[in-house]
Amino acid sequence: MTQTTRRSFIKSTLATGTALVAAPMIARAQDVLKMGVVLPSPIADVGWSHALMAGVNTVKEAYGEGLEVTVLENIMEGPDADRIANNLVAEGNKVLLLGSFGYQNGGIQIARRNPDVSIIHASGFMVEPNFAPFTAKYWQGTYLMGMAAAALTKTKVLGCVGAFAIPELITSINAFMLGARSVDPEITMRVVWVNSWFNPASEQDATRALISQDCDVIFSNAQDTPSVISVAEEAGVYVYNLNSSMASYAPTKYLGVVGTDWGPFFKAKVDAHVAGNFEGANYWLGVEDDVVYTADWNADIPADMVEQITARQAAIADGSFTVFQGPLIDQSGTERYAEGVAMTDGEILSKDWHVEGVTSPLPN
Amino acid sequence: MSIIAFLLAGTLAAALPLLLAALGEMVVEKTGLLNLGIEGMMAIGAAVAFILVFQTGSHSLGFAGGAVAGLVLSMVFAFLVITLKVNEVAAGLALSVLGLGLSALFGKSFESLTVSGLPRLGLPGLSQIPLVGPTLLTQDILVWLAIPFTVALGYVLTRTKPGLVIQAVGENASVARSIGYNVAAIRFAAVGFGGAMAGLGGAYASTVYTPLWADGMIAGRGWIALALVVFGTWKTGRIAFGALLFGVLSLGELMAQATGVNLPSQLLTSLPYVVTILMLVVISRRKGPLAA
Repeated sequence: MTQTTRRSFIKSTLATGTALVAAPMIARAQDVLKMGVVLPSPIADVGWSHALMAGVNTVKEAYGEGLEVTVLENIMEGPDADRIANNLVAEGNKVLLLGSFGYQNGGIQIARRNPDVSIIHASGFMVEPNFAPFTAKYWQGTYLMGMAAAALTKTKVLGCVGAFAIPELITSINAFMLGARSVDPEITMRVVWVNSWFNPASEQDATRALISQDCDVIFSNAQDTPSVISVAEEAGVYVYNLNSSMASYAPTKYLGVVGTDWGPFFKAKVDAHVAGNFEGANYWLGVEDDVVYTADWNADIPADMVEQITARQAAIADGSFTVFQGPLIDQSGTERYAEGVAMTDGEILSKDWHVEGVTSPLPN
Repeated sequence: MSIIAFLLAGTLAAALPLLLAALGEMVVEKTGLLNLGIEGMMAIGAAVAFILVFQTGSHSLGFAGGAVAGLVLSMVFAFLVITLKVNEVAAGLALSVLGLGLSALFGKSFESLTVSGLPRLGLPGLSQIPLVGPTLLTQDILVWLAIPFTVALGYVLTRTKPGLVIQAVGENASVARSIGYNVAAIRFAAVGFGGAMAGLGGAYASTVYTPLWADGMIAGRGWIALALVVFGTWKTGRIAFGALLFGVLSLGELMAQATGVNLPSQLLTSLPYVVTILMLVVISRRKGPLAA
């Protein structure tokens, strides 16, 4: 990336700073710390595994020679993943990063058997003293994308290509809708579920189907490849995605990215392991933690909307604005949450209904 | 764009990878073999074609490379099964795994990269027809070439001597051998043809239909092609029909969701497979045991 933003500047400064401080500290340590990373998809220039690896690299930079990282990518969830994670522990890795929900059950067992190993696990909910799940509050970012989409849509119809209808994805869609409706209450959204984490051809056909149904801003919800992005660019409709920027695949129509920067969190957990005070807890991280961020905004977004978005992002960060706050009305027109009532974390984590404006029914 | 226009424009491209791979497998099965390695041959074809198109920009080279890659891999199967008489189910499954693994290896540094697809060409004079002109009759070059190819293949297999020889080898290899045909050579050729077609289907998938490379992008299409051969009862026209049906159902399912039809999307996603099973039941009840 050639562009230096305030954010990346601070990040690199911090990284260099901690590296200078950490280096002599590690040099004193007897052993090199070994960290194992298990990822569900191949590491590419974009996508989920890429975002996790970027976080791991921040830790690596900070520790330098003091940390040895073993990365195993494209590991299918299931018994094979458990075997591989066990093997990492047997090889002396004391910190494990398990990069997918499906590694949860195997990971928990490893944590119970090996109290001296600290494990951080993506997207799960189970906790042990040495096992900490982490999730990003993507919906804070998709709300902001909704505001931008509202300023750009001409048809007043937004579209979303979703992988699986699970709460994490549903909340992202609903926040996108709420953000758009906060600007223009007439906007509606169509959702197509491809029922696969990975099927580029289907994802592209789904995008074309949405575009044919007048959707002119598309949300690529949890696709790891630029399948949706490239079709949208070709068709001339705005598009955005999660995790890491795919702006290079859509030079004119990229709306922006709801990115995740796991570096500071991973480093904090590794530091805690080294210091002996690793804590097993459910880490649900968002804009306020500097984990979820937005970047690469399209230049077509009007200046006054950019201002509004910036102000809203600041309000989310300082806690003065909450996305899932009543009045919240569902698809059937029923009021689920009254004025002033906010959804609890637990309710958001298990959300299985769409807000008003999403016209596609939710598969049960 | 209307629902119909969307389906007319997209169905042929969605069907083509399946059609090419299934036609290849049909010829293999007509010689009395069963190659379960289509998924692997498609994957290796897709990876090699993508790399070639990415590096050279030439789609022709990509198609050729994909077909050759599929052919080379199929020769492993041919050697194992025809020469060494290894169990063909085991060899075919091994080929699938091997092809997927090799494609991941070759494609490693190309993960998530994209290339540009092929332009869609309208038929001169016909592309002005309302509705079908700019949709059904505007397709890329490989779709246009595949149509006469399918017809020609059907003709060759049923109306010419080479086609009948292939059939004879499949129906009674010992008789074919006793009247002087080199059964092993004919089977090698058929397996090679099947491999090249699967490779070509994979090449089309990764460079035209979905012009990007991602490990695992064939996503089960090889197995669908295998089912299509049975679905089409080893007849070219029926296999083409099955591929089109599959294409239109897979698009229709997404379209139904986009228009907000209130059906569970998991059910819709599985619809093409359900239809395949239903067709198998219908065919077998009508005609008794399936005969090649």
